[in-house]
Formats: sequence, C-alpha cells, structure tokens
Amino acid sequence: MRKSFALRVAALAAALVVVVCGLGFGWGFLRVESALRDQLDLAIASDAQDYLADFESLGANALIASVADAARRRGALVLLQTAEGTTIAGNIRGAPLGLNGFDDLHLPDGRDLRALGAILPRGLNLIVAADLAPVRRSAAALVGALPLAGVVAAFAALVLGFFAARRLELRLRRVSDAATAVIAGDLSRRLPETGGGDEFDRLSATTNAVLARVEALVEGLQATTTSIAHDLRSPLFRLRQALEAALARPRDPEADAATFEASLSELDSVLSTFAALLRIARAEAGVGNAGFVTVDLSELVTRVCETYEAVAEDAGKTLSAEVAPGLTLRADPDLLRQALANLIENALTHGGDRIRVVLQANGGATLIVTDNGPGIPPEEYAQVLQRFHRLDTSRNTPGTGLGLALVAAVARLHGARLELGDAGPGLRVTLALPSH
Amino acid sequence: MRVLVIEDDVTTADYIAKGLGELGHVVELARTGKDGLFLALNETFDAIITDRMLPGPDGVAILRALRASGIRTPVLIVTAMGEVEARVDGLDAGADDYLAKPFAFSELRARLDAMTRRVSETTEGEASVLRVGDLEFNLLRRTVRRGTTKIDLLPTELRLLEFMMRHPGQVLTRTMLLERVWDFNFDPTTNVVDVHMSRLRRKLDAAGPPLIRTMRGAGYMLAADDA
Repeated sequence: MRKSFALRVAALAAALVVVVCGLGFGWGFLRVESALRDQLDLAIASDAQDYLADFESLGANALIASVADAARRRGALVLLQTAEGTTIAGNIRGAPLGLNGFDDLHLPDGRDLRALGAILPRGLNLIVAADLAPVRRSAAALVGALPLAGVVAAFAALVLGFFAARRLELRLRRVSDAATAVIAGDLSRRLPETGGGDEFDRLSATTNAVLARVEALVEGLQATTTSIAHDLRSPLFRLRQALEAALARPRDPEADAATFEASLSELDSVLSTFAALLRIARAEAGVGNAGFVTVDLSELVTRVCETYEAVAEDAGKTLSAEVAPGLTLRADPDLLRQALANLIENALTHGGDRIRVVLQANGGATLIVTDNGPGIPPEEYAQVLQRFHRLDTSRNTPGTGLGLALVAAVARLHGARLELGDAGPGLRVTLALPSH
Repeated sequence: MRVLVIEDDVTTADYIAKGLGELGHVVELARTGKDGLFLALNETFDAIITDRMLPGPDGVAILRALRASGIRTPVLIVTAMGEVEARVDGLDAGADDYLAKPFAFSELRARLDAMTRRVSETTEGEASVLRVGDLEFNLLRRTVRRGTTKIDLLPTELRLLEFMMRHPGQVLTRTMLLERVWDFNFDPTTNVVDVHMSRLRRKLDAAGPPLIRTMRGAGYMLAADDA
C-alpha cells in the first residue's frame, strides 16, 4: 500500500490539536469552577457571620429562631445541632458531627454541598451550606462552547496539514521523478530549482551539481572508451599483422628477431598509452585529493626545467626558466611534475626552438610555458585538451596525443585554471593554481 | 639467492620463476597469500617478490606481518598497472621496491639486484664520501673529483651520479633512474635519461677511462674497471 505523507501529517496535526484542546478545556473548567467556589465560600462565610452576630448579641435562642426562620422561609441550607447530632433547627439531614471550617459534604440524598461549620459554646454546632450543583452547571456552561471550537480547530488542522504536506509531497515527487529519470539513464536530467533559495532549492542545487559531475565523468569515460577503441586498435592490429606475417614465412633467426623487437616496441607504446589513460582517469576521478601534500613548487619547477634544459640543448633548442623562489602549496607533486613535463615535451616536439617556463606568485601560483612555434588556431584550443587529439591527423609526430588531456585533468584536480593563448608567434599555456 | 615468489597468476609466476631460475636463483612459489606468509615466516629467503592482489592476505598485509615479526628480508611488490596508491601503500608498509605489471624481465632483475645489495650496503652505515674506483663524491660538500681532477656537475647530474654511486656494479634501468633520480613516475616521451647520462659520462670520462657502461636493452651500470 502506498503511504501518503500528506495524510499522515494532517492526521498528526489534528490529533495534536485535539490533545491540546482537551488539556486546555480541562484546565479551563477547573479554573472556572474554582473561581465560582471562591465566590460561594465568601457568600457562605458572610451568612455565617450574620448568624454568629445574632448569637453573640442576642443569645442562643435568637440564633435558633433565625436559623429556623432562614431554613423555612428563605430556603437557605443551614443547621444548628448539638454535639451529639440532635438537630435543634435547620434543614440539612445527614450532616457530620463537629464540622469546624470549610468542607465539601455529600449528603445521603445525593446532594453535594459546600459547608462552613462553627463550634459554639455549650457544644452547639452551626453549619451554613450551599448547593454545589449550580456552580458545576455554571462552570460546565461557561466552557461548554469550547469543545465545538476544538472540533473546528482539529478539522482546520486536518485540512491545512493535508494541503501543506501535499505541497511538500509534490515537490518531493518532482525530485524523485527526476532521480528516477537519471537512474533510467537520462544523465542530463536535473532537479527543479524554483530559485526561492529554501532548503529544497539548496538540496536541488547540490544534487544538480552532483549530477553534472557524474555526467561529466561518464562522458569522460565514454570518450576514453571510444579513444581506446580507436587509438589502441590500430597499433594492436599492426602488431597482429606483423606476427602473422612472421609466422607464415620460413624461420629465419635474424628476421624473426627483428620482428620480435619491433613488436615489443609497438607493445610498449600501447602500454604507455594505457598508463597515460589511467593517470588521466585517476586525476579526473579526483581521488588524488587524498594524496595532496605540501609541495615546494619552486623547487619542483626548477628541477623539471633543469632536466629539460639539457634535453632541449641536445635537440638544438633552448629552454629558459624564470622561477619565483619559495612558492609552496598543497598539491599532488607526482601529477604536477608530469603535467609540467608534458607541457615542456609538447613544446619541444611541436613548438619551435625557444621554450620559456615562468613560475609567478600572485595569490596562488601561475605557471606559464611558452614556445615560438606555429601555435594552435584559437578555434582548436578546446579540442587539443581532449584525449587523443592531434593537430597532425596523420599521427606522424611522436606522442600519445594524451599530453594536454592529462594537463587538463591535473588542472581540474587542483582547481586550477588552464588557458591556451597566442604567444605571437607560438603557443602560451597558462596554469593558474589557487593558493588554498 | 633463494627467492620467494608469491603470485596467484600462473603465467606470471612461471615467467618470474623461469627467469630467476635461469639466473641461478632458487625459487619457492606460493600461489596464495596464506601459503606465502607461512613460507616467509618459517623459512629464510634472500628476497621476496609478492603480488599486491592475492587470495587470502594481500601483498601489503603479508609485508606488514613480516615487518611486525621483525623479518627484514627485502620485499618487492608487484602490482597491476596504474595502481599509484598501491605503490604508496606498499612503500609505506615497508616494501623495498615496487614494480607495475607488465614489466620486462630485465627490469625485475635489476630491481631485485639493487634491492638485495642495498640491504647489505646500508648495514655499513652512512658514509659521507662515496667512492667507485678513482671517483669520489663528497656528500657534504656536494663535490666530485676523479683522481686529482675536480669535476663540475649540474644539480641533476649530481643527483644522477649519487644514485649510481650508491649502486655500483648494478644494472640500473631507465625506469629506476626516472623514479629515483627524477621522481618521474611516468614515461617521458623524450630521452631524458640518455641525455643526462651522456653528459655525465662525457664529464667523468674526460678525466680517465670510462666508468659508465650501457647495458643493451637493460640500462646503465657504473663500475670501475677493476670492479
């Protein structure tokens, strides 16, 4: 059975109203009754004062006469009895003996009385009383309207609760519908955001950010799969052909050795492509965050530049470095080193004969690698950061075509901005690392 | 040498065992982490090569157990490709070296060699001067002389030479050099190692007979003629 959140909330609200009203009514009844009793007590005390005044000024006989008179004529509830309980005058039957002070009496005939007793000289006991029934009726009448109000309130709570909860339920259902669509494979689906900035909006915004990240990762994965299929198939196919041809021809140790060597080097290049892809995947998954350490970036850049100065020189090129000292930040040194090496090797392979590496401090750290080669047309900037993109589509220049894709992934992992630009002539790559 | 190989993949295990056997080593094979740990704890080996992923306790767990029982036998951890975290885990747990599959046998051989010799060397304590033949490296002043000739080296060349002088007479592969001298845990597309090696070699050989040999298909070795 489908459980309705709205119904449950409405029922809960109504039940709460009923309980609160019930407690309120009970308390109200008690307060009203107690106020009425206080008034009753005052009236009784005042009557008793009158009788006692008669007794003190005129004597016992006068008291007896006025009690009898009051009982008979005014219908007042009053009694004068001896210490043994013999009625002298008055009309209360079944009163207790020796009542002194206020008390509630329950008479044998079923009436409840409020009574004030006084012990007079010679054992006389005067009791002045009033019926409690009117007090109770008045209290009940005064609070009698309240239960109706309670019922109305409970009903209102039920209705309001239902609609409020229903609204909530609808919003939740939209979220759940969107999530279901994502599960079904529509990764571009996003949760509704009303722009109201309430908790739901914030939840939607966060979830949408998660979905965007997941979509990007999945797209990356698909791109990788496609590129693997595309780029690794050809060398593997060449390898297969070479081995097949070698197997078919008569055994010749020298030719076989040559085939084996060529095959091994072909395999090595496939493996290094694999390694590069795995590195990119690792950087993109962001797991490296756990491996962040404090890195002396100045030293790292200096060392990599020293390494490649010699490589450049041997290739008849020059590499100059201008490194701001003492720059440290939290980073993955392994990946940063490889990203810089990739940028420099990229410049060495494709970019002219003068390469310049600059590390500047500006809040964070900015790393700039410039060459004086042919550069890249601006419309291709985005593409060259993709996996396996090569400007030389014949794929004659060395490299896996993954160098800049790795740099882009490393930049993303470090929250860095990666920009390609025109060095006029040549390519300028800027990697701006934040300081955090 | 007596080497324990813990590897659940039959092909890899046979490849390693056959190669080591041809080099004259005695190989014990264990197919599970449990068997491997039992052998490692109860018998004496000169080196242990263990896969990272194993049925039963894995390579890192075996390593921790060994180190916890005070067994200092050099351990080489072999992992699947791309497990960079695994390398860190392994070295943290006390592994002496790390090698990613697939690897060339020459790479395994060089690392096993460096690993077993390193242990015997470190027992001699830290010297302030390294010597190979007439070559002398003063670690405190970071200066190098050959015989009476002072040799000026760049920082990278100094680091390269120091590493080679700490492993004299051993084959050092390009990957080993990239990892240890350059902290490059990736394959550069340019010939980084060869460029620096030939510069270092030129500077050293200007003052005497060649000290650095190129081992074809394997790597480089620093050795004095008499060594």
